[in-house]
Amino acid sequence: MTAGRIEVSGLRKAFGPTVALDDVSHVFEPGRVHALMGKNGSGKSTLVKALSGALQPDAGRMFINGREVSFSSPADAFANRVVTVHQELSLVPELSVGENIFLGRLPFRQRLGISTLDWNKVHTDARRLLEDMGLDIDPRRPVSSLSVGRQQVIEIAKAMAFDPTVLLLDEPTSALARAEVEHLFALVRRLRERGVTMIYITHRMSELFDIADTCTVLRDGRLVGSIEMEGATTDRIVGMMFGDVARATRPAGEAEQIGGDVVLSVRNLTRRGAFEDVSFDLRRGEILGMAGMLGAGRTEVLRAIFGADGFDGGEIVVDGMPVKQPTPQAMRQLGIGYTPENRKEVGLVQMLSIHDNLCLASLPVIAPSGFITRSREAPYVSRQIEELSIKVGDPMLPVSTLSGGNQQKIVIGNWLNTRPKVMFLDEPSRGIDVQAKQQVFEIMWREARLGISSVFVSTEAEELLEVCDRILVMRAGRIVAEVDPSTTSISDLYGLCMEEHAAEDIVEDAGMTATGDQ
Amino acid sequence: MTGFIRTAFTRYPMEIILALLYIYLSFEAPGFFTVNNQLNVLRNITMQGIIAFGMTMVIISGEIDLSVGSGVALAGCVIAWICGEYTDAIGAPAAVIIGAVVAIAIQVTLGVLTGRVRQWFSVPTFITTLALLTMLRGAANLITGGFPLATFPSWFTTLGSGFFYGVPIPVYVFVVVFAVTHFIMKFTSFGRSVYAVGGNPEAARLSGINIWFVKSATLGITGALTAISGILIAAQIGSGNATAASGWELDVIAAVIIGGTSLFGGKGRIWGTFIGVLFLGFVVNGMTLLNVSEYWQYVVRGALILGAVLFNYVLEKLR
Repeated sequence: MTAGRIEVSGLRKAFGPTVALDDVSHVFEPGRVHALMGKNGSGKSTLVKALSGALQPDAGRMFINGREVSFSSPADAFANRVVTVHQELSLVPELSVGENIFLGRLPFRQRLGISTLDWNKVHTDARRLLEDMGLDIDPRRPVSSLSVGRQQVIEIAKAMAFDPTVLLLDEPTSALARAEVEHLFALVRRLRERGVTMIYITHRMSELFDIADTCTVLRDGRLVGSIEMEGATTDRIVGMMFGDVARATRPAGEAEQIGGDVVLSVRNLTRRGAFEDVSFDLRRGEILGMAGMLGAGRTEVLRAIFGADGFDGGEIVVDGMPVKQPTPQAMRQLGIGYTPENRKEVGLVQMLSIHDNLCLASLPVIAPSGFITRSREAPYVSRQIEELSIKVGDPMLPVSTLSGGNQQKIVIGNWLNTRPKVMFLDEPSRGIDVQAKQQVFEIMWREARLGISSVFVSTEAEELLEVCDRILVMRAGRIVAEVDPSTTSISDLYGLCMEEHAAEDIVEDAGMTATGDQ
Repeated sequence: MTGFIRTAFTRYPMEIILALLYIYLSFEAPGFFTVNNQLNVLRNITMQGIIAFGMTMVIISGEIDLSVGSGVALAGCVIAWICGEYTDAIGAPAAVIIGAVVAIAIQVTLGVLTGRVRQWFSVPTFITTLALLTMLRGAANLITGGFPLATFPSWFTTLGSGFFYGVPIPVYVFVVVFAVTHFIMKFTSFGRSVYAVGGNPEAARLSGINIWFVKSATLGITGALTAISGILIAAQIGSGNATAASGWELDVIAAVIIGGTSLFGGKGRIWGTFIGVLFLGFVVNGMTLLNVSEYWQYVVRGALILGAVLFNYVLEKLR
């Protein structure tokens, strides 16, 4: 195994007007674990894709051990022994461990003049590879019989079969339980001892201190810097990730009086493996933020309250009345609306018209008798188009002809037509342009003035601070803190979202109240 | 002018093709353009057409029903058997009415159950109705013992073969079913929900639409229409016959697809199916009048299904 010193110089990549990577130069020294940090949209994944050959930079050069390389496809990266373990598992569950490791290049041998699969070689080679990595897994077992953590390990073993000098690990722990993370770290340390260069992407701050040697931070496509983990602090890294951001605030006079009456109350809501003991109250006209990293359980909680998915225990009370069995129909009846995070897939019926999509949820309101005509729907359609300033030519055109921001407004308009009391907005600002984002926030503020409460889920700390009256922080399925946006900084909130010890430090510093969790 | 033709063609493709076919057959097929033949075609298409309107709703909702042919046979046999058993006891009119109600109830129940089996056990309707296709045919044979049951009073048979103001009586049923299903799909929230459920079930569910109710209801409606068609067929041939309507599921689905309904769900019109039913009826009638061999007719009917799908694909590109 040879050491791989990988160097990038002046790397640049733009998608249309958005510059994802801007003049990034860095050297990843061999035999070390290099953490790559940055908030969403900072250019981390673009950099990884460039290194793994999944996309080609517009400018800049790459060197491995001083030799210039350029990857026009992932195959080129493989040929240069740069191997990536992606976040999503790419194993075939029904096949054996050994078969998965050598998939696509299984060994054959001649038997009676016929080329047949050499199963013995598959399994002995796989066993040797696994033992080499200190793993005791039977290569004949089907992958589906292993835990997700073990599967992630097999994924790395598969990568190791290519004998890589550079290994890119894209959030390998995002789906793992704590004990499994330890196993994975043991493996990573072992590989480090053997001189493999590892580039490690994670959202979990505590992991950096456990596993990384250096931390390289990207912000808005630029390389902010790189620090040795020895002597680094959470504050320092968070500071590098965010810089000195001036915070936009809600226009003066917008934060209206919030009514005293609680419209929605959730008590001890639990679904095993997804979220636990979630309790909160939502008051009339309040905009309640839900902060957290991806996978913190925020979407799952909203979907459970809305009745889209089930839950194991807990209570949901709407307007003082306990809801026995929430279903989307029942919750709609009670005045709750839900705009899902993946609007393209489940928020809209793409083949139907803009007109029809704006009336999807409100059919019972528009037509209580069940009989309906286009002209009867028309005022509902034009009202939302006007009030949400949706850019629409002909409302009878398919909704798929609209831009992302306008599609998002259609999803919101669809629910505003039901005259809701509470809106659940799950990542409404994801993937839409700045102006559309601002408009979505203004819609929330306006609805709040009319007494409509919102629960706003976002991964962007700055958005939550800008928009909300109050913010709940979720981590690993629990509400771990409640913060007041007016007294909280972006990096404090971000730190709270990330990891236990980091969060506790910050809570003490800022004098905030941490709830739940220990 | 070419722009006009293009617009007309992309907007009303099947209407134009149907008109051209009609004109062609009027000139070329001997005996096509006669009142008798036109009425004959109408009578032939009504039985399958009645079912096709329900099938359109099922397919738009993203499901399929392969059991309609066997369902027609079963419904005819059920009403015939009830007439045979109870006419003496309760009189012919009561027996016919009870027979019709029972036949319809059985098919509605099976349709709704098919939808619920999909909901509870995730069994695709393709599989459930494929099983029903064989089971219902078998049940029909069990009821009749393999022989036609000619148990109807004579007045009942006029329902299938009689005329009212010179038009075959089933044609009125066909027109009523067309009007009602068209209205449901266009002017009720239920109809809107059918499109939404077929277009994107998860989006529909998250909008508070009860997608399993909608799917089960379309299957139930199709069951009712299948039974009505079966009763009319039994009345027309004067007996309950377990071999009736064999292979109809394909003709019915063909008419729906020719009418422009997408097998992927979410897209289609009752009016399109109306055109599809007429088109298929005229093609079959025209081929018979032109003395095309029966074997070639099979080939052509199959080719029409594939052609319709390809044609819709090309149209989609043109628009």
